[in-house]
Amino acid sequence: MLTHLLRRYKPWHILGVAAPLAICAAPADARDAQTIIGQSCAACHAAEGKNSWSRISHQRKTPEGWLMTIARMQTMHGLVISDEDRRTVVKYLADKQGLAPSETETARYALERSLNTVEHIGSEQYNQMCARCHSAARPALQRRPAKEWEHLVHFHLGQWPSLEYQAQARDRDWLQVALKEMVPLLAKEYPLDSKAWSDWQRHKPQPAALAGRWSFSGHMLGKDDVLGVMTVSPAGKDTFKVAMQGRYADGQSFNGSGSALLYNGYEWRASVKVGGVAMRQVLMARDGEMQGRMFEETHDERGLDFHAAKSGSGKLLAVQPDFVKAGSETELTLVGANLQGKADFGPGIQVVSVLSQTPEQVRVKVKASADAAVGVRSISLGRLKGGSLAVYQQVKEVKVLPAFSVSRIGGNGGSTPKVEGRFDAEAWSQDTSGKPFRVGVMPAKWSVAPFDERAEEDQDVKYAGKMQADSGIFTPGDAGPNPARKMSTNNAGNLKVIATVDDSGRALKGEGHMIVGVQRWNNPPIP
Amino acid sequence: MSVKTIFKLAGLAMAFGTCAQPTLAASDLALQKGHEYLAVTNYPNNLHIIDAENDSLYKSCRLPDAFGPGTIQISPDKTRAYVLNNHYGDIYGVELDSCNVVFHATLSQQPTERARAIFSIGLSPDGKELYSIVNPTRMNRDNYVVETPRLQVYSTSAGLNAKPERSFPAPRQTTMLQAADDGSLFVVGADVYKMDPHSGKTEVNIPLRNWTRPLYSPPDVLYVWPQQRPQHTFNLLYTAARFKDEKMNPETADNVYGFIDINLANGKSELVDFAPITEVYFTGARSPKDSNLMYGVLNRLAKYDIKEKKLLQSASLDHSYYCLTINKAGNKLYLSGTFNDVAIFDADSLKKIGNVKLPGGDMAITTAQIFTR
Ligand code: HEC
Repeated sequence: MLTHLLRRYKPWHILGVAAPLAICAAPADARDAQTIIGQSCAACHAAEGKNSWSRISHQRKTPEGWLMTIARMQTMHGLVISDEDRRTVVKYLADKQGLAPSETETARYALERSLNTVEHIGSEQYNQMCARCHSAARPALQRRPAKEWEHLVHFHLGQWPSLEYQAQARDRDWLQVALKEMVPLLAKEYPLDSKAWSDWQRHKPQPAALAGRWSFSGHMLGKDDVLGVMTVSPAGKDTFKVAMQGRYADGQSFNGSGSALLYNGYEWRASVKVGGVAMRQVLMARDGEMQGRMFEETHDERGLDFHAAKSGSGKLLAVQPDFVKAGSETELTLVGANLQGKADFGPGIQVVSVLSQTPEQVRVKVKASADAAVGVRSISLGRLKGGSLAVYQQVKEVKVLPAFSVSRIGGNGGSTPKVEGRFDAEAWSQDTSGKPFRVGVMPAKWSVAPFDERAEEDQDVKYAGKMQADSGIFTPGDAGPNPARKMSTNNAGNLKVIATVDDSGRALKGEGHMIVGVQRWNNPPIP
Repeated sequence: MSVKTIFKLAGLAMAFGTCAQPTLAASDLALQKGHEYLAVTNYPNNLHIIDAENDSLYKSCRLPDAFGPGTIQISPDKTRAYVLNNHYGDIYGVELDSCNVVFHATLSQQPTERARAIFSIGLSPDGKELYSIVNPTRMNRDNYVVETPRLQVYSTSAGLNAKPERSFPAPRQTTMLQAADDGSLFVVGADVYKMDPHSGKTEVNIPLRNWTRPLYSPPDVLYVWPQQRPQHTFNLLYTAARFKDEKMNPETADNVYGFIDINLANGKSELVDFAPITEVYFTGARSPKDSNLMYGVLNRLAKYDIKEKKLLQSASLDHSYYCLTINKAGNKLYLSGTFNDVAIFDADSLKKIGNVKLPGGDMAITTAQIFTR
């Protein structure tokens, strides 16, 4: 309810910024991880027999999680370690004490840096106790026994004494709640030992299986659908070379190349230069598919959802675009691997002609009859099923995605770049029974408006940044105080994001909420 | 309040960390008997004495080590200022006439301990003892252990390597404290406790988290400015929801501001709602001239009629100020905290009558103190 002074001292303001996770493996002559841990960590972490050390050997986490822990040892405890040794230790611990794929599923958005995700992890109490200063995903991406969760509680309050005085902490006996209620809950929800993990260790697939040709489909927020082919070739143990050839739906093509490192048998991390821009892939590689997100390294808000299928066995990933208006003719592209056979979009949608066909892409012209059944239908190609197509007659509603988001002022000589706002206009319609269904992302005209009276009075629209009318990309204002504003405040703001979609002459509006915040002073790998 | 307020505040403080600096005033200037002064601290680590009669900077003392939070207590004889500083970890005593540091206590008691006092600093009525409740953590080789808070009692004549004369276990989550004339300590925490600094005996004096006011939510207190008021009171603000009925629906509740005033002469306290919440105040204080008048400050300066629970008047500000001080006569208001200027307002008209620009940077969460030497 109130403005909370002490919240200015959020822990993540203080934590050191960790370098991004390595994507190249250490050279062959590097010392092995056990030796490094024995020399660099054992000064503080007692050896407990062979390849086991106090604290270190009693936790499991993601590669990013291990990186953050060791970076913390450097910034807070004075650990001295070379980047190369750190890479070796992170790789070793992430492989040996990682998470099973299923254990990461509900929180991958944090690794993928989809920072506008509205989190749905855990109870209200969990969110107040554990996700007030950082994401709910951060603890959910770790596994520990009760004793180690207890250590973590003590570390938090010891390191940030103001923590128990902040809002949603000073209203309760914070330490007792943390120790007596949260620790048992965390140890139960996120235990060190699990069946998923022991199964994964036994059945980890061979990394060599990832080499080959991958067909991908994706969507870039605030831009377009993308598709293409990614070629993966082996470059050493768990390391790969990556080449990409892709195309946006508007026809613009791109090429990229880079390298990848596989952690723990499925955590794929690649760095790919696309037209001079360094992009990062955070993907889960499993069962002949890779899924996750690819984003610019210095602007993680610019990114695409990415789904790829390995050539070898047939897989239909998606159809682009994924909607068609009843009574219209349009071109659709089926994306997948080993595509063959006839496209079937179900009754009322006739394939007029096949424009092109490769194992990865099948481009067809279709005609949807005026009375084609509306709704979302599954589609097939030969014996492959996958993807879905929405058939609609009228757009009934437009949703702005993300519905709630934070962009950030920046630049202006400061070290922190602006964080753009990026939006999609998602059209919805209704089936014959009146049930809403998603049509798909449509072009829109974009604008911003004051979110409330206060924003109106403070002229946030004028100061907080500029929305590009055609693209839905919002560029926030410059960082620092602005003498033109009341009380010389900065260019932060509180805005409505408005999309107007034209559906055959009918204009439909959708609305989202965007906070234009101040810079994020600290930006750890897991938010 | 809106999320935005938080962002804007954070931004302001960050942005104005450094400014063009006037130079420091001479440090060995003695204070004049009977004269009223205002003490404030700011970055990088200054203690400034403002002449509260002609409203100009009188002198500045450099403090050792790092700034923060800069919470000040003035000794009862008005010759020394004690400052909680060095990232909440040390207390320094400064002789005001000479700027000499004559007292220094490192709050941690072991090399492997980190102890922090969260705005906890107070003096005995005779000025011979200094009190601070610290939150210690034992820092082991590969883990931390949070330990029970301690009241540490120092002799103010202990010099530059002061060690506690006594210490007692204290409740968690405490902030400000002040000694009453009978020597007992009022300590603000989950509740307001009364603590005996000789036996360590602690009891609840004013229940807050555990109050039993019918149809009220528990109050929220975020008040970290232990100001030594001319009325010799110890005061703080709280907010609470007052529900319409037993259903306790927060949607239809009235959100109220209230104050607690503890009379340090007799230990009696008042707890009074004085306004509906329409905006946030970080600090507030009653007028020494008219105890029915209440002032509050953050983004605006406001004046309330306590009995009528009515906003009488408000004034807009050039920027936010955290800390509101009233002079002894009750005719001037000094606004400090954040930025590096002290704004002076007429307590009756709420017209701005002066501004003292300080050498150095942000005052952040300094506690300003008004006193007559
Ligand atoms: C100079 C002492 C020191 C060194 C060297 C050191 N650590 Fe630590 N480590 C600590 C301390 C102190 C803690 C407990 C406080 C904390 O959690 O940060 C800790 C905690 C940890 C934890 C538990 C963190 C958690 O989230 O609960 C892990 C894991 C860890 N260290 C790993 C390592 C590794 C791996 C290395 C070597 C690459 C290392 N440490 C080197 C002092 C050290």
